[in-house]
Amino acid sequence: MQETTLPAELHERVEELREEHLLLDPRPREEMNRMVLEAMEDVNREYIIVMTILGLVTAVTLFGAWGYLMSKGLGLAGIRRPIYWGLFIVSFVFWIGISHAGTFVSAILRVFKAEFRRPFTRAAELMTTFALAGAGLYPLIHLGRTWRFYWMIPYPNQRWLWPNFRSPLVWDFLAINTYLLGSTMYLFLPLIPDLAMARDKSKGWRKVLYTILSFGWRGTEEEWRHLQKAIQIFAWAIIPVMFSVHTIVSWDFAVAMKLGWHSTIFGPYFIVGAILSGISAVGFILYMIRISVKNMRYFIRPEHFDALGKLLLIISMGWAYFFFNEFLLEWYGGEHTVQEILRYYTTGDMAPVWWTMVICNILIPWLVLWNKNWRRKPWVMALMGIIVNIGMYAERYVIVVGALSRNRIPFDWGWYKPSLVEISIALGTFTLFFFLYGLASRLIPLIPVWEVEEGHHAHGLKRIGKGVVKTVAELE
Amino acid sequence: MAEMDPQHTKWVMVIDLDRCNGCGACVTACAMENNVAFTGEEENAYGRGMHWLRIVRYWVGEWPNVQVRFMPMLCQQCSNAPCEPVCPVFATMHSEAQELNIQVYNRCIGTRYCANNCPYIARTFNWFDYEWPEPLNFHLNPDVTVRRRGIMEKCTFCIQRIRAAEEEARMEGRPVRDGEVQPACAQACPTEAIVFGNWQDPNSKVRELAESQRGFRFLEELGTEPKVIYLSSQKHEF
Amino acid sequence: MSQEQRLTRRDVLKLAGLGGAVAAVLSGCGPTAKYVRRQPYYDMPEYARPGASVYFATTCRECPAGCGLVVRTVEGRAIKIEGNPNHPVNKGATCARGQAALETLYNPDRAKGPTRQGKPITWDEAITALADLLQNTPPESMAFLLGLAPDHLAELVYEITQALGAPPPLRVGALAFMEARNTLAGAAERVFGTKALPTFDIADADLVLSFGANFMETWLSPVYYGKAYGAMRRGRPGRRGILVHFEPRMSMTAANADLWLPIKPGTEGLVAQALGYLVAEAMGREPGEGLFQVDPAQIAQQAEVSLEKLEKVARYIANEAEKVVAIPGGVALGQSNGFAIAQAVLSLNALFQELGKETGVFFTPPVNGEAPLAPATLADIQDLIGRMQAGKVKVLFVHGVNPVYEFPPSWGFAEALKKVGTVVSFASFVDETAAQAHLHLPDHTFLESWGYQRVQVGADRETLSAFQPVVVPVFDTKATADVLLAAVQQVGGALAEAVPYKNEVEFIQKKVAALRERTDGIYAHPHPQVFWNLFLQHGGWWTEQSQKELARGSVLNVQVGEADFDQGDLYLVVFPHPILAEGASANNPWLQETPDPTTTVMWNTWVEVHPETAARLGLQNDDVVEIASPYGAIQAVVYVYPGIRPDTLAVPMGQGHTALGRWARGRGANPLALLGPEANGASDPAFARVRVRVRRLGTRRQLARKENVVGVYGDGRYEPVEAKAESGMKE
Repeated sequence: MQETTLPAELHERVEELREEHLLLDPRPREEMNRMVLEAMEDVNREYIIVMTILGLVTAVTLFGAWGYLMSKGLGLAGIRRPIYWGLFIVSFVFWIGISHAGTFVSAILRVFKAEFRRPFTRAAELMTTFALAGAGLYPLIHLGRTWRFYWMIPYPNQRWLWPNFRSPLVWDFLAINTYLLGSTMYLFLPLIPDLAMARDKSKGWRKVLYTILSFGWRGTEEEWRHLQKAIQIFAWAIIPVMFSVHTIVSWDFAVAMKLGWHSTIFGPYFIVGAILSGISAVGFILYMIRISVKNMRYFIRPEHFDALGKLLLIISMGWAYFFFNEFLLEWYGGEHTVQEILRYYTTGDMAPVWWTMVICNILIPWLVLWNKNWRRKPWVMALMGIIVNIGMYAERYVIVVGALSRNRIPFDWGWYKPSLVEISIALGTFTLFFFLYGLASRLIPLIPVWEVEEGHHAHGLKRIGKGVVKTVAELE
Repeated sequence: MAEMDPQHTKWVMVIDLDRCNGCGACVTACAMENNVAFTGEEENAYGRGMHWLRIVRYWVGEWPNVQVRFMPMLCQQCSNAPCEPVCPVFATMHSEAQELNIQVYNRCIGTRYCANNCPYIARTFNWFDYEWPEPLNFHLNPDVTVRRRGIMEKCTFCIQRIRAAEEEARMEGRPVRDGEVQPACAQACPTEAIVFGNWQDPNSKVRELAESQRGFRFLEELGTEPKVIYLSSQKHEF
Repeated sequence: MSQEQRLTRRDVLKLAGLGGAVAAVLSGCGPTAKYVRRQPYYDMPEYARPGASVYFATTCRECPAGCGLVVRTVEGRAIKIEGNPNHPVNKGATCARGQAALETLYNPDRAKGPTRQGKPITWDEAITALADLLQNTPPESMAFLLGLAPDHLAELVYEITQALGAPPPLRVGALAFMEARNTLAGAAERVFGTKALPTFDIADADLVLSFGANFMETWLSPVYYGKAYGAMRRGRPGRRGILVHFEPRMSMTAANADLWLPIKPGTEGLVAQALGYLVAEAMGREPGEGLFQVDPAQIAQQAEVSLEKLEKVARYIANEAEKVVAIPGGVALGQSNGFAIAQAVLSLNALFQELGKETGVFFTPPVNGEAPLAPATLADIQDLIGRMQAGKVKVLFVHGVNPVYEFPPSWGFAEALKKVGTVVSFASFVDETAAQAHLHLPDHTFLESWGYQRVQVGADRETLSAFQPVVVPVFDTKATADVLLAAVQQVGGALAEAVPYKNEVEFIQKKVAALRERTDGIYAHPHPQVFWNLFLQHGGWWTEQSQKELARGSVLNVQVGEADFDQGDLYLVVFPHPILAEGASANNPWLQETPDPTTTVMWNTWVEVHPETAARLGLQNDDVVEIASPYGAIQAVVYVYPGIRPDTLAVPMGQGHTALGRWARGRGANPLALLGPEANGASDPAFARVRVRVRRLGTRRQLARKENVVGVYGDGRYEPVEAKAESGMKE
């Protein structure tokens, strides 16, 4: 750290830069540890009340409704012939999309050495795990006979039958499980030094818990070397898994013989859509952490929202490109049923949803995110997180429900209205997500302290002429 | 019949749309044979009828030259069926012996993917456990499984009748005779619009009818290779 | 498994059996035990063999057509109804209603046993009560109302009434008068000289002219006509018959026509005459040579039909068709001049004969010359209602018909019924009439019954179609014939001597005894029991050879005239529901669930409104409207129907039950409430003469349709119903 060499007349400028950039604003490791631990141990009354409410609401709206659905039959959902998939699959695709943020923010930004990622990789990875937990429920919820879900698992059984590996649903099942395992391990690896830190500094049941979870980490050079290596491997390996997961989810639709689904562009289109909703969700989560968790204003700063905003704008453009490409080519193809599907989207009953999608995913981000002042406002980015996710939910609704409403036999078209049970379950996964996140916020260090510290070491200020410049040292 | 392989049958159905008068006897016959559940007014209004066979009605022309066309629509038993590859648990699959798409009820876990992928919208789903209040359940056909909630079902070409005829033929050491197997719809049809038979039998009635220039297969361009052959109706124009 | 093992196991079983027997003996198991021979049930009767099907031939009684059935039973339960392939009427086919008849048999809402004033009684009490009524009622104040099926019961009741000196039974039914059976038979008498229901031989016709006859749905013998229609279309290589249909609405029959001409109601007879004129003209006859004295151009204008189309049809008949059949029926015969229309259309057949064409009208010969009892005329019915109203009917027996539901309320039957001392219903269900009966002595349904039906339409030979029970009775019901005979025996005396049958089966056996003499049947046997077995096995008796004899008629120059209509804005077509018909089986859930062919509606009553009319009246799909005629009003749900005249509404029968069971009660409306008491110029009601007003009620009810409104009609987005409901029709 070269700050001592800076002359006093640049002090003001330096202060400014420090306030702006976390990595230029080092604090002693001890203090950061204390801040993170304080945040974890901050189990106050508000927290307990909020968590109790979330827990109860989840129990009723998600698990209660699900149990009711299972006991009576899938008819309680609003689906009907020919719209056999409804809100459950919409929510499934949505949560899979959200889960992409963790990998994207953490692995891809890590691989490309985007330094602004450092304080919130953990927050994003947690999002992946919990979003996958929510998403993973839907393939079970939507089954007519949930209690037979394990028949999709390839294991030797008395039926002498493997699952059908030609079915995209089996690919789905395998891909989601792989992603869940991979991303959980990827979440866990960078967590080990922080857990060890927590073990060293806490008492009581936390001590026991962290002792178990930190696997006896001592912080030797050998351990660090192995950890770095493992993180590198996982960061590279999880990226193709992430791409494949959402491609496979898109194949649920794209390989079908269904007009409006059968599109070669669905793979990348879905991936970009997933990243769009995931990144914007990270913005929302960071805002929530910043305002609700102790000491987080130090770690999460406007610069992070600014960086996320730029990323979001670029991805929104990418999404718009795919969206336009898909729509234009289908429209130009002129196939009768497809024409009707597009008419149905743009001016038919689906129009409110479709236009919500266009407005939330393209119009609003493009109008807002070009402005640095707005990007830097955490609440604006939180709002963008909500808006873009509404847009992306609408997109999935249009694709799943809209395309199914129209087919090649006009006699058998249909319309769909989500039932109360479906809506309840869909909302229930949101509360489940926040409940799990809230739980995690008090159990594991939300900020990877060692990664931030690493950033502190790598970043510095240097005087060149009369100015001050930021310096970055290559770590690896 | 010499060139006919008794081990291998390919069951096809020919529906003469010029004969079909849309009366609906096939719809009811199918339901009675196959224990198809009735779901009542509200469920039907919401598009949850369980009809395995429905008569699609088209309006043609403008008043006063309005005309109607009827087209019985059922599972087309595609040789290249879109429903089959998408089922994760092989509940819908191809039977090698009869060349039919069979639905194994107790294997079905209810993903409903097959129904989404069927271009003929031929599949129906058991949204609830439907009931036949006693003694209405007495008429349930013991040869056909009564389906419970959460599983998919569809026209089977009355496979229970095919199997019975095959077994009888095997016991008598002969191939199945043409006309020996009649699904419930063909049997009930007052206008003899529905004819069922074995494509492998070169002398069968279905082969003869299918050679008609009026023959077509519905949505053939999708490459599903349906085994229901429609003969178009050609109304006289005054 | 090895031989030894099996023997071992068998030995074990033997020992166990011996042990059981010893135990039974030692425990002193009653003196009867030694008379019970215990043996394995290796020689079970086939009907008890698990998994084996037993087929019984019987006859359908869902409508009076008399189609032969073969019912598959497994272990004593009826599983599936199939057509009897050898039966002369239906030749192996069935209609939807016949298929669903199993749900009549196993309906959970059937009457479970005899009741008096709603309280269960025993059959002995019931028979005593009945005997008491027969004995102590003056014969002239008894009345019997019977359905059009079964015939054996009508004949038995006829004998009983004769013996008692009571008025003969009246055979009635909504289907009978919607088919205008008497009108048709009367017109046939005038044109062809035979007073019977004509059968139209369309199977090898080149062109069929149908004037309102909905012969493929419910009319007279729909399965026969279905078979014939199929044969007409594609039964003859290279020759395809053409169907031209005249009707104000697109019925299912119209939907199958090559040409459907939506003519103005009441002009059917005129159009028939105009067509006759045009055909004759096209064949080079001079007008006036004993032909209809009509002006085709003026008639075409009056009927609002294209003259050009009529001329094209006439030219086709003249030049291309060899065999032409003209059928009057359905709504055409329900006009105020329905009798004249029937004659005009039947005369068209005669005219074609005269012009050297082949036609196809034949009459099913009655078995051994015994014609079934004809349906009652409207005058008879009104006379009965008048007597009931005047309190002159002390006891009314009702079987096979549900007059409270099936008679238009304007006839006043329901009120008159209250003045009858004792009403005895034999209905299998607690229908609207049975609900008001003092004594309810439920009959079996036909699948549990003996009997026969005399085929009147469709068979080309003498046909007596037999009923036999295919299962044991499901509930504590008793055959009405047996109940009546038991009561007669209890009364004893002269009555029992005049009606000397021990039971129903004996009566039937005596009635069919004469057939043993016949050698031209599909079977013959002099021995009564063998003959009886053959009779049951074949599902009846009919001749080996066809006795089809095409009738020759004479052209009648009837003055068809203009039809009269009641006051109102829109013509109304009331038609038997293509699936439910008059609604006696409306409690069969699968019959309700079978979509109507043209609208695809299930489970409710709709009213068909032309799109233009709907737009004019501000009506949309699924609006609930009130339809009011001078005689009554009903509520129904709007179906915007492209195939109906803009000045006409159409409502199907079959719903609107207030009783009958859980699936029928409180569902839809019965359009008979709109009809009046006038006759059609003969002996049937003029059900097409009412005109109605329609008013939007401001509520909506979604019709259960198989079709999708958006896909089929391009617009399914419902505009919100406006609060102001009073935007009905302006006068």
